[in-house]
Order: sequence, then structure tokens, then C-alpha cells
Amino acid sequence: MRSLLWEVCRFECRNQLRSPLFAALAATFFLLGFLITASEKVSVGGLGNNLNFNAPFAIVQIQYVLSMIGMLAAVAIVGLAATRDFDAKMAEILFASGVGERSWLLGRFIGGWLFATLAVLAGLLGTLVAAFMPWLDPNRVGAFAAEPYLFAVWGVLLPNLLVICALFFGVAVFTRSIVAAYVTALGFMVLYVVVSIAADQQHTRWLALADPFGISAFGDLTRYWTVFERNTQVPALEGALLYNRIIWIGAALLMLLATVLRFRFNLAPTTRGGAGGLVELLRIRLRRKTPMRTEAQPKSRQRLAVRSAVGWQADLARLRSQLRMDVRGIVRSVPFYVLLAFGLFNVAGGFYGSIAGLYGTPVLPVTDLMIRVVEGSFLFVVFIIIVYYSGELVHRERQLRVVDVLDATPYPSGIMVLAKVGALWFVITALLLVMLLTSILVQTLNGYHHYELGLYLAGLFAIGGFWFYLWCIPAVLIQVLAPGKFSGMLMFLLVFMGLQTLPSLGFEHNLYLFSAPQAPYSAMNGFGHFILPVTAFSLYWLCFAVLLLMVAHLLYPRGSDTGWRVRMSGARSRFVGELRWSATAAALVMASLGAWIFYNTNVLNDYQTKDDRELALADYEKRYQPLSLLPQPSVIDLDVKLEIYPEQRRLESRGSALLANDLDHAIDELHFTLAPHLSVLSFDVPGGELVEEDVRLGYYRYRLTEALRPGEQRTVSWDLAWRNPGFENAGSTTRVVANGTFVNNGEIAPMLGYDAFRALEDNSVRRKHGLPPVQRLPALGDPQWLDVAEFRVRRRTAFRAQIGTAADQIALAPGYLQREWTEGGRRYFAYEMDAPIWPFVSFTSARYAVARDQWNDVALEVYYHPQHGYNVDAMLRASKRSLDYFTREFSPYQYRQFRILEFPGYATFAQAFPNTIPYSEAIGFVADLRKPDRIDYVFYVTAHELAHQWWGHQVAGAYMQGSTMITETLAQYSALMVQEAEYGPEKMRRFLKFELDNYLKSRGGELIEELPLVRVEGQGYIHYRKGSLAMYALKDYVGEQAVNQALRSFLQRFAFVDGPYPTASDLVAEFRAVAGSEHQALITDLFEKIVLFDLKVTAAVVTPVADGFEVAISIDARKFEADGAGQEREVPLDYQLDVGIFPQQDRRAGESDLPQPLLLEKQRIVSGSQVLTFKVPAAPAQVGIDPYNKMIDRNPEDNLLRL
Amino acid sequence: MLSISGLGKTYGNGVEALVDVSLEVPKGLFGLLGPNGAGKSTLMRTIATLQSPDRGQIWLDGFDALADTTRLRSTLGYLPQEFGAYPRTSPKVMLNHIAALKGIAGKSERRDMVEHLLAQTNLWDVRDKSIDTFSGGMKQRFGIAQALIGDPKLVIVDEPTAGLDPAERRRFHNLLARIGQDVVVILSTHIVEDVADLCPRMAIMANGRILLEGEPRALIGSLQGRLWSKLVPMAEVEAYRQALPVVSTRLVGGQVEVRVFAAQRPEADLQPAAATLEDVYFATLQKHGLSVEL
Repeated sequence: MRSLLWEVCRFECRNQLRSPLFAALAATFFLLGFLITASEKVSVGGLGNNLNFNAPFAIVQIQYVLSMIGMLAAVAIVGLAATRDFDAKMAEILFASGVGERSWLLGRFIGGWLFATLAVLAGLLGTLVAAFMPWLDPNRVGAFAAEPYLFAVWGVLLPNLLVICALFFGVAVFTRSIVAAYVTALGFMVLYVVVSIAADQQHTRWLALADPFGISAFGDLTRYWTVFERNTQVPALEGALLYNRIIWIGAALLMLLATVLRFRFNLAPTTRGGAGGLVELLRIRLRRKTPMRTEAQPKSRQRLAVRSAVGWQADLARLRSQLRMDVRGIVRSVPFYVLLAFGLFNVAGGFYGSIAGLYGTPVLPVTDLMIRVVEGSFLFVVFIIIVYYSGELVHRERQLRVVDVLDATPYPSGIMVLAKVGALWFVITALLLVMLLTSILVQTLNGYHHYELGLYLAGLFAIGGFWFYLWCIPAVLIQVLAPGKFSGMLMFLLVFMGLQTLPSLGFEHNLYLFSAPQAPYSAMNGFGHFILPVTAFSLYWLCFAVLLLMVAHLLYPRGSDTGWRVRMSGARSRFVGELRWSATAAALVMASLGAWIFYNTNVLNDYQTKDDRELALADYEKRYQPLSLLPQPSVIDLDVKLEIYPEQRRLESRGSALLANDLDHAIDELHFTLAPHLSVLSFDVPGGELVEEDVRLGYYRYRLTEALRPGEQRTVSWDLAWRNPGFENAGSTTRVVANGTFVNNGEIAPMLGYDAFRALEDNSVRRKHGLPPVQRLPALGDPQWLDVAEFRVRRRTAFRAQIGTAADQIALAPGYLQREWTEGGRRYFAYEMDAPIWPFVSFTSARYAVARDQWNDVALEVYYHPQHGYNVDAMLRASKRSLDYFTREFSPYQYRQFRILEFPGYATFAQAFPNTIPYSEAIGFVADLRKPDRIDYVFYVTAHELAHQWWGHQVAGAYMQGSTMITETLAQYSALMVQEAEYGPEKMRRFLKFELDNYLKSRGGELIEELPLVRVEGQGYIHYRKGSLAMYALKDYVGEQAVNQALRSFLQRFAFVDGPYPTASDLVAEFRAVAGSEHQALITDLFEKIVLFDLKVTAAVVTPVADGFEVAISIDARKFEADGAGQEREVPLDYQLDVGIFPQQDRRAGESDLPQPLLLEKQRIVSGSQVLTFKVPAAPAQVGIDPYNKMIDRNPEDNLLRL
Repeated sequence: MLSISGLGKTYGNGVEALVDVSLEVPKGLFGLLGPNGAGKSTLMRTIATLQSPDRGQIWLDGFDALADTTRLRSTLGYLPQEFGAYPRTSPKVMLNHIAALKGIAGKSERRDMVEHLLAQTNLWDVRDKSIDTFSGGMKQRFGIAQALIGDPKLVIVDEPTAGLDPAERRRFHNLLARIGQDVVVILSTHIVEDVADLCPRMAIMANGRILLEGEPRALIGSLQGRLWSKLVPMAEVEAYRQALPVVSTRLVGGQVEVRVFAAQRPEADLQPAAATLEDVYFATLQKHGLSVEL
């Protein structure tokens, strides 16, 4: 038997080796592996731009992805190996020949598995070869090491391919159908995607074991890996990863065993279970009952003198009939229902999983959100539909051998082409409808009853769906041209991928990419001005698609005339008359539309690629950064007159700035940076001679005939226009729109000097353009910058603004409303601020509803989109609570008014300007706050932004490292305190867990260097996330009163100063002053170092005693210090840390909320193992070291032990 | 009236499927007889516009059928040698679909025609059953039903009786004979009886060439009196082959009947035999150096 097995196996290998399929797959995988590694254009998730090209993490991650894609290779190769003998009708002969069943089966399997593995292994080879390519940035190529490649082979590739091959082989053997194997693969993939989307962070442990590919286990293991670790470490095969591998290899062997044991040589599919059974079952279900007809046989025997009709009626009847036959075939097949089920799960899973909102608080299921959910992973499904069904449909008649009968009838070939396209459209429409209905169901189940059917239709079918529909036409054409369905699928993939790759090669124009610009939706602004370009491009490509249809009609192979010579000559002879005229007309319309589009995108507007934009930024930096140290005056009075024409997306900006030389030496040149989109109508610099005018980059340099002496002032004035004519190819601005204009002064007025915030941040991009590594900020304490505030200015300014807008809109700017009037059918608003503010202001205009309230003598106002009133009260309440806390604990509020302004959800942030907070419609306004156990992030965001009126507007740090610790970290702390006062400390644990997770995850994506808080360089994950954790820990140790006292003192010293500005060191010094000597080391660890803990409870012994229980807790504790790349070294730990003992969880409480502790006290904990003993009155259920995760711990989960 | 002249087709692998084929086919049943691989199907498919010839012309009732394939297809009924159907589809649905493709636009018109054809081909009782479940004969009757949709002027049936049992074949012959009253019907087959039973005119084809054309009766007549037969033991057959112009041999009750073609009686113990179309067929093949091993 063994030798027979060997023979079968060898035979299988020889077959595979000769098969073009294997060669094609191996080549594809090689190319994939090569491109993902060596080309920045092709990428998989999880690999940042800072990682080495051959980082072990990257090698392993890529192999995971490839082995998942390898599923398709596996099903093709193994499926073929399993079914070849049946398909070739050789089975009878083979089975009679005396080859043992098991030898046959195992031989086939081993051969197939081997070659599937080899095909995917080619991908690893591609990865390996790619790392040696000379064009790679040598700074990002690590030393060669064999271990990661070896791990990729035996830890990833071999087990994964074994699992999927065993599964698909089993299915293919029992159903005798490669289609069933494909369907299984499809279902498998769908299930996989859905489960990984739906499973949120709570279930990662479970998912790590259940994931057949082990990707989740690997992701879990490396979740918090830093760049250093990703560049150097190969994952150890232990823990969840090991168990996962054992479970799934075991499962694969069992599957194989079952296949071998249950298989018998007979010629019918053998099983009623499994996928084959499913197919059978569905077949039976779907089969229509034969209707009982009683009517008699027609007696007439005379010939029916019916002749073929001609003309469009006949063709319409033909089309309808063919379409009916094709749709019939689809709705009676299993894959169709798999897809529909996917649509359903996709929406439901997508909604409940990935759209959980901030801090686990969901957003309301508003329609545009549901549309985004649908579109989220939708491209992937539609892509599968188009690839799979175009192949199936076009080659269906040939495969079923009805082609001879049909092709001898006088239907025009185009009818068949149209029917196939129509059937594809049917599938897509059915899927979209299922998704639409599921969306509405989800809305209903969530108690949201504002159904916007029109928006659904527009968003799903017209804007998004149009391209899905249109793509069907090239797909059908390609299949018509292709000799077989698989080669057609491959050709389509190549075309599709090719088009997707073009933009990354610098070809970004939608005129040749078979695409249209994006049309983002905002509830405030609808699809806005994006409708026009989308329509123009859609019509343009529609004409093209019509031409493609004609080509398909002409080249459609009839009968056995599949040779090119015959088809070409046939096409030539049929390309006459009406067809030729229609083609000419379509081409002409397409050309005219194209010309008009080109005029809009390239003549009226500047067509720029991503490289162009990068180049402009690089040029700007190269040319003008050297001038940045040239002294410039300060703006001390800013007066802006803005005319907004929302419907035309146009604004006129006039204004003046009073410049004062607040330095101790004369200034003889004035430099201005102007946003390049502005047209300069006039720019008046008295006594200035324009010596450099760089319109492209927006840099203007004036030499003063008479230098500006210290203390001297001068007024410059301007008249600028932002026109936005026609439409762009891409990246049309969302700042000036029909409803919801939101611009800042940097976008509409000149700024003094060089704009350092334009610098490219990505070091590899910088290297490409010959720029030195980025220096994000001056070093902490650099005396040269102490007089410059965080916003890179030295002074606050007086501010006035007059804004004109459409009659039905309200326009807003920082300051108090002085006057409102109507003039010439337009509405005008004049604002003035009564005290100097930073020269950074925003201007907003929209059709608003206004909610007003009062806190003491402060007017509270929320300007919101009339349909977005859901959380306005919550915002007002948060504002009041915040004002209560901040004025009591910090200092008085400096304004008489506090306003929140909603702006369109093209961006998702809130930003604090003096007495004014623009707040995106996408956050907060649509948060679902109806469940009280959720984190109220509307409350949090509002409190955070309001806190900036103190941290930022009252006091701002010097322009250097650590400045955002003063603004952002303190705003986080302030918001935390208000939240804690409102919701209690229990809720904080959940909030802080999100912060901890986010911080630990984001570290791995750091582009340059992680820094301690005191030297943070504007890194969000540090100043927000770690900031929250550090400040909460500080408060926990030294007390809220002491921290607030330090902040009061800080404010007293630095609020409203004109420089020198405080640094983060000054803030830390305030903390040190209020903290006892016992907390100095803690402050060092929290703010001046990157410190991580590994705390865990290893065991706990409970002994009942006389009046309660004695609990002995074994604790393992270690402390690490990390450098900027994430390399850690252990340092001695000697800390007072929380030890907690908790009773049985109250069932009603949320999963992550701990019950009231039986005992919670700080204990001295040192490095290593230790046992602490406590006595508690009631039975303990959980014990924990640092149970509330106040310390930064990379395994926060093991801090608690359930008894 | 179908007229074919100088038709030639050479496949990519060098096989000459059609060599200068010329035929005049009048109204009525026309039998095209030939061994497997003779090029019959290629010829049928070429006439049915499913395959373009390299050379030659086809005219039907005075129009150039190769230039205007749509017109030819409008008057064509074609029963291919092998054909399938959409899965789990009844003859009613399938016929209705083919009728639509043939250009019968009206729904009721289509329904009447389909019902008529179902009745005519004795498929009425199984009109709602899936074609997948049909026996060979039922399937061929369905095939002829679809070929008859739209009142064709030219009907091509390619090897329709292969694999049918005698009763089914008889029914099928009756069906064909009825059709042949009005239109041109070309019946390609390798079964001599089909032609003998049905066709007033016929041609014999082999190696892509037309070897003989005529009326079966006349062709048989031309052999009359020159055919001799004898029953011999199996062991002696080879000797007879060597010695005499043997046309065919066949088993009769365990012995072999040897049929010999000769102007005069070649040996005394050979008896005169009545010629059949089969003898014409074998003699023709033999004349062109295509020996038939039986």
C-alpha cells in the first residue's frame, strides 16, 4: 500500500508540476510577497512606514496574509486534485484498477497539499528576495536573519495550508465538486471576515484560539509590540499561539482522518452531511414543485406559420428571456445565498462591531453611518461577485453545452452580453437591497425611526453602487474575450489590480482610472458640490462602458468560432450602419465630456498628484525653512472682513493686521506665507518692496525700505479670494461648502513668516526628497524658544471680524456679537473680542438651530444642524459641570460666553478657539447616549474642549517639546475629573482601560521616537492617552486637592503672560512641590521616563477564619524602562501599589466594572515574587494587584485573578 | 434548396475536416452517411453557422448564407449531435426561451407554438419535468422540438438516432419523415438504416470529402446482380479476404457471411445476394481505399 501511495502521490505531483495553474499561482504569490515588501505602493495592514522592510514582524505578518489568500490557491489545487478523476470521467476505470482507496486519497492529498504550500511559499521567497533590492532605503533594511523566515514556514505556512487543504479536500472529495469547495472557501472567508469584525476587544482571547489561521493569536501577542520589538523579535511559539496551532493542526488531521475513513470508491457523492449535503438540501428546497396540470394536450396539428420577428420588440423579448434564464440560474444556486447572508451579517456585524464609536459608546444608527457601514467592507464582496459571476455567467452556455442550440438562433450577440451584465446587476441589486433592509432593521431595533429612504437609495445605489454596476461591463467584456472562465477571472484581476496600482505610480486622474472622485456625505451638507464631478465622471465612463458593450457584441464568439481571425473579420463586417453611428456618437459624447472634465480639473483647477503635493511641501521646506529664524514682528491687532458665498463655494477675504516689532532689534524684511489656493487681488505692505513672490508655494517676501524699529508698528492689508471654480479631479476642499463652511485664518489670510506645521513628517518620504530627518519641535528648555508660545507666535492679538454669508445661514467667529444686519440679500455678523487672544481663529457658517442656556453669567450656546438635536442637552450639561469644576478648582473663566458649533463630518475632531468650539457632526452629535452604562464621551469631549479655555487659552507652553503636555494632558485631566465627579470612579476604570489599550497599541506605530510626557512632540497617544493615565495615577497618589493646587499655582504664574512661556518642566516642578518626598520617584517615572510595569497575581489562597476569610495573594511584579524605539530594560521596582480584594460580581453591572472592593489598600511592592496576606469579612471572588490599571502594564488582564 | 460549393476547412492541427465539399440539397430528407470522423459534424456545424469555413460558399433559396448568417439562422432549425440544457429546467421553459431567441416576440404566440411542439413531439406529459431527467429518446424529441421552432426552411439533424432503442428510433423516424415533407432536412448519421428508411436523396462522406451522391434506390440498383455471398467458418474469412474483393462480413448464427462485389460470380459456391444500402456504403468506402474492419 505504501508504494501505491507513493505512486499516486508522484503522479499527482507530476500533474501539478505540469499544470499552468500551479505556475500561475506560484508566480502570483512570488510577486505579491515581493511587492508587499519592496514596493511602498503595495501594503498589508499593520506594517508602518517606520518598520524595517525585513523586520521579523513584517515577514511573519505578510506570511499570515499570504497564507489567507492562499486559501484560494489551496482550493484550486487541492480541489482539482480531489475531483480531477471524477471530472475526467476516469473514475470508473481508476476505481476498477485496484488502487486502494486510502492510497488514492492520501496520495492525492499529499501531492495537492505539497503544491499548494509550494505556491504560497513562493510568496515568502518573494519577501526574501525583495529585501535585497537596491532601491530600498538602506536605513530600513535590517541584518539578515533566518529565524523569521523559518518561523514563517513552520509556524505559519505549513500549519495554515494543512488546515485549509484538509478542509477543502474533504469537501471536494465528498461532494465531487470543485464548486462546492469554492463555495465552502467563500463561506469560510465570509465567516472569517464577519467574525473578526464582529468580535470586539472583549473577545480577543477566545478569537485567538478560534482563528484557524492564527492571525488573531499573533495579533494578540504582538498587539503592544514597539517598533524595536517588531524589528527584532520572532514570536515565541507559546501560549495562545501554541494552543491555536495545536488545536487547528489537530482539527486538520481529524478532518483528513474522517475523509479517509468515510471515503469509498463509488461514483456518487457519498455524504448527506457537510457542504455537499447543504448543496443537496438547498437544491431540494429550491426546486419548484411540478404544477399539476390537468389541461388537455393541444389537438391542433396544423403548422404554426410563425416567422421570426425582427426589430427591437423581438430583441427585447430575447433579452428578457435570456435574462430570466440567467437570473433563474443564480437564484437557484448556493453562492447567491452565501452572498446575501454575508450582506446581512456584514451590516449587522459591522454596526455592532467596528462602529462602536469612541470609548465603546456606540453612535446612533443614522442613515449616513449605516451607508458607511455597508460600504465599509463592501468593495470586497462586490469584487467577489463581479469576478465570480462574470466568469460563471459568460461561460455558462458553453459549460452547459446549450451553446450550439442557442447560437444557431438569430439573436444578436449583444443580447447575450446585455443579459449577462443584467444578471450581474441583479445580484448586486439583490445584495444592496438586503443590506438596505438590514440597515433599516438595525435602525429599528435600536429605536431609531428616522428612515431616510432617499438617502439610502442615493448613497447605496447611485453614488456608491453606480461603480459596482459599471464594473460589471468590463468584467463581462473580459470574460467574452477570455478563452475560459478562470483565465478571464485572472485577466480581470490583472486589469483591476493594475488600475488600483496606477495611482501609487503617480497616475491619479479619474479620466483614465475608470473611477470618479470620492463623494463624502455629511448630514449637514448632503453630497454637496461633489454631485457635479461625480455625475460628470459617471457619464463619461458610462459612454465608455457603452463602447465596451459594443466591443463585446462584436467580438462575442458564436458557436465554435472562437478563433481571433474569424472573430475580428466578423466584427469588421458587422461594424456598420446603426452600430457604427452609435459607437461614433458614444465616442463623441465621451470625448466632449472628457474635454469638459479636463477643462475643469486641469485648466480651471490645478491637477496635482500625491507626489506633486509632497514635492511642493518639500520644496517649501527646502527653500524657506532656512529663513525661518529671521525675526518677524508680531500681530497685535487682527481685523478680518470675510464674504462667504456658500453655494458658490467662494469666499473673499479682506482684512488688515497691525504688526508690532516687539523685539529688541530692527526688522528689515517681512515674510508671509499664504495658502496656495488663495488668489491675491491686493496685498499692501506699506514701505515694503516685493522681492520674492512664490505663487506656487505661497511665500511672499518684502524688503522694507525703512526698517521696522523696535516698538514700531505697521499695518498690512490684503484682499484675497478663494474661488474653487469648477471641480477637481480629487481632494476638493470640504472647508468652503454650501452648508457648513469652517475655515481658519491660516486658510484665508496671510501668516507671518515660515509655516513649520507644513513639514513632511514621514522620515522615509523626507529621505526621498532629500530632506534631513524631521525635527518635530525644539528641545525642551531651548532658551531660544522660551519667548515663543506653542502656536509659534509671541503675542496675543486684538481681534475683530465681520462675516457676510447667505441670508439663511449664521456665521460665527471668536468674540462677541456686536451687530447683525441684512444687506443686499445677505446676512452680516460683526464680532469683536474684548481681550487679546492667540492669532488663531476660525470662521463658521451654516444653517443652524440654536440652543441657549446660562451658567451664572456665562451664556451657553450650541449651534447645531436641526436634525442633530439628540445630545445638545448633554453638551450643555457637560459645559455647566465643567465650568463648575474648572472655576472652582483652577481659576475664573475669562469669557462671558461659551459656544459649540457643529461642522460637517468631513473631519472628526473638536477644536477649541476662544469662547468658541467647532465640533464635528461625526462625534458627539450622533453618539447614542441612551444606555446609562456607556461612557458618555460627549460629556468627555465637551469637558476636554472647554478645559482648553484654561489650558491653551489662559496658559500656553513655550514652542518646544512638552508643550502639549500643558495643553492636551491637562485638558484630559480636567475632563477626567469632571467625569469622575459626574459618574463616579468606577466608570473611570473603563475609560482608562481604553486609554491604556490605545497608548500601548499606538506605541508600535510611532514613526520617529517615543518620548516621555515632559518631552512629548505633539504625539497624540502620549499627550492624550498616556497623559490621562499619568495624571490619574498622580492624582491617585498625591490627591486631587494637591494636584489642583499645583495647577492653580501654575496658572497664577503663567496665565496670560506675554512670555517667557512655561515649559512642561515648570509644570512637573509644580507637581513636585505639592507631592511629598515619597512621590518624587513616581513623578519621575510618570512624566520624565517611559516606564512600564508587568504586574500579575499568580495565585491566591483563601482560608476561612473565625470572622471572615484570610487571603494570601502571590504577586509577581516587575518594572521596565523603555527607550524611544521601545527597547526595554528591567529596573528595580519599589512602589506603593493598589492591592484589591473583590466580592462576587453583581450580575447587573457591566462586564468591565468591578464591584465595590472588600479591601483596597496600597502596599509596598518590589521586583519579583511576593506573598501578601489580608483578612476580609466576606468571601472573596477576585483578587488583584493594581486592579484599576492605574499603572501602565502591558498585560493589564492578568492583574486580576478570579478565584 | 440548399446549395453548397467548394467548402473547405482545415483545423489548426492540420486535419482537413472539409475538402472541396459541394452538394445540392433539395426539399425533403437528405441523408449524409459516413463513418465517425468523416467530417459530417463539421459540415453540419458549418451549415448551421456555428463554424466558419476557410473556403467555399453556401446558398439557401438564393441568398448567400455565409454573408448573412442572421438570415440563415432565422430560417434554420438545428439539432446538434450533443447538447445540454439549463439545469433543472423543463422543456416548456427551455422551448419558450429558444423561441424568444429565435425572435418570436409575442408571449401567447410563443406559448401556442411551444404547446404545439410539445404535443407534436409527444412531450406533452413531461412538459414540466426537468430535461436533466430525460431518457435519450425524450431528449432527442426535445431536440427536434426546439429545432422546429419558428417554422424553419432548413433543418439540420446531426446524429440524432445514436443511442436510441429501436422503438424510440422508430418514433423518431416518423417524426423526421413528417417534417421532411415541407422543408430541407439534412440528416447526418453513421447508421445506414436511418438513411435507407428515410431519405430520398443521400451522400456518403469520409475524410472530409463527398464520395458519392444520389438516390438510395438508384445506388442500390447499381449494385444489383454484382453482389455475392456465402456463409463460411470464421477461420476461413481471412483467406476469402485475400482472394476475393470482399465488401463486408457479418456474423450470422455463429458463421460469417462474406459479401463479395464482382461483375461475375467469382466462385461456384457463392450465391447471388440482394444489394442493400449498406453494401453501397461499404463498397464506396472500399473503393476509396478505406477498408472497413468488421
